[in-house]
Amino acid sequence: MTDTYQTKGLRRILLGFGGFLKNSLLNFFSLEFLSILIPLLLLWEFLPRWNVLPPSLVPPLSTVAERFWFMLLHKNLILHIAWSMGRFFAAFGAAVALAVPIGLLMGWNLKIRAYVLPLWQLLSPIPPPAWVPMTIIFFGVGSKMHIFLMFIGIFYPVLFNTYQGIKDTDPRYLASARVFGASEFTLLRKVYFWHAFGSIIMSLKTGVAMGLVMLLIGESYGGTMGIGYLLGQAKDYFVIPEMLVCMAILGFIGWFLIEVLKYAEIKLALWKAGR
Amino acid sequence: MIEAKSISKFFPVINEKGLAEGLTAVLNVSLTIPDGKIVSLLGPSGCGKSTFLEILAGLQAPTDGTIHIDGKLVLEPLPATRKEMISYKRRYRFISPLANGVFRDRPKHDIAMIFQDYAVFPWMTALQNLVFALKLRNAGRTGTAKLKKAQLMEKAVFFLGKTGLAAFANKYPSQLSGGMRQRLALARALSVEPKIILMDEPFAAVDALTREKLQDELLRLWAETAAVGPPLTIVLVTHDVQEAVYLSDEVVVFSPSPGTLRNRVPVEARRPRARTDPNIVEIEERILAMFQYDINQESEYSI
Repeated sequence: MTDTYQTKGLRRILLGFGGFLKNSLLNFFSLEFLSILIPLLLLWEFLPRWNVLPPSLVPPLSTVAERFWFMLLHKNLILHIAWSMGRFFAAFGAAVALAVPIGLLMGWNLKIRAYVLPLWQLLSPIPPPAWVPMTIIFFGVGSKMHIFLMFIGIFYPVLFNTYQGIKDTDPRYLASARVFGASEFTLLRKVYFWHAFGSIIMSLKTGVAMGLVMLLIGESYGGTMGIGYLLGQAKDYFVIPEMLVCMAILGFIGWFLIEVLKYAEIKLALWKAGR
Repeated sequence: MIEAKSISKFFPVINEKGLAEGLTAVLNVSLTIPDGKIVSLLGPSGCGKSTFLEILAGLQAPTDGTIHIDGKLVLEPLPATRKEMISYKRRYRFISPLANGVFRDRPKHDIAMIFQDYAVFPWMTALQNLVFALKLRNAGRTGTAKLKKAQLMEKAVFFLGKTGLAAFANKYPSQLSGGMRQRLALARALSVEPKIILMDEPFAAVDALTREKLQDELLRLWAETAAVGPPLTIVLVTHDVQEAVYLSDEVVVFSPSPGTLRNRVPVEARRPRARTDPNIVEIEERILAMFQYDINQESEYSI
């Protein structure tokens, strides 16, 4: 039986991308939200212009937009974003590649859980920023340090959410697969993982948020590239429009990554769509 | 053939004072189920019949006693002494005694099971559910009995058709109705062509009309399977007296707390049966009278 709706090649990619845009942007262009957003933007523009708010402290929207354009052209904004994102994805990839399998194994087997769970329980309550001094001593100031700090931030939420999801797997599904002869490895791949899929995606969303926090903390401690660095510089020279540009970019990145994860969940967990 | 020898099962439970106490779910049940029969385990809720079925399926280890399916031990009983406990724990240090193996898919026995709430995987379509079960069963086979991928697919489609789900092959269980989900579970169990199917209150969650239809369908499929291949044994747990008598060759009545074997009632009416067959109605009434008697006795004791 083949799926008659299947499309291939570029067309499929375009369709997928269209679906993503529709899914993520449609919230913004709904009449309900626009009726909130447009007045807000207008207030932002005109309150400082009419001197209701001091324009030196609250620059109007147009000034911020101009500044954004200026930073794009003269301050290598794209390069800064690329550096930040490169580090972020390195940390995110490493954290997820480690945390998800460890969470899977810990939720699956009591013995493995007994060996390693207490370790994470001891280490995870340490607030990630507390790692900063030690990290700087070990890795110096630079990309390695940024990546390690983000890794620490992302690792624990992903690990614990995955573990919890796996541990809560409905024993009936395990029983029915076992009766048919499933090995433990098959159970992990075909039953545990999919049963915990929702909480794994949830954990990745938390990971994105924590990663961005650590990105900012790490980059504010030094370095010469990155959005956190730009923000720090804007603070030092008291350029408020630049601060706002950095904040907006961080907000956009967080929103975008979460939307990607949401879309991945919709696409991979088709069975949930009917519920 | 299923041979259960003096099966007992104790559970530690927590009572209303928050203290641990022992609960005897099944006490000393011995039962032999011959090949090709439909046998019902009948009893009120909480009489240990589901626990007994899970022990049969190898999903729980009995506290005492052994079960052999075709001469092969299902699960060894739990350790009784401290010494046994230590060696038991050592043996199953890394992997649960219920596991089939770490990497190799291989069923322990030629059985299939249907659960009360279906337990079809919601993340697989109807067809994928069947193919998954078939693949697992196939992995344990060798030589000519091992099927190719296309053959598995064919078989899955065939059994979906047999249970009237051909049009729903690519639907997820959440898109199916309760009755259809139950039929999917039935198709999945039949598709692996087991010798024994264990059913845990399979029709309890569907409405009365659907239930009667599913019961008739089950009998039809059972007869069809037996006509082409080796006889199919069905062990059915239920609390519905009519269902038990209508479907089975023998009704095994359990009495509650602790779950013991109360009585075994053979049903010798010829198939196909009618629900209003006087023989069947008479047996139903006899079993109901038996329950009534038990309830009266119980109340006399409590007074």
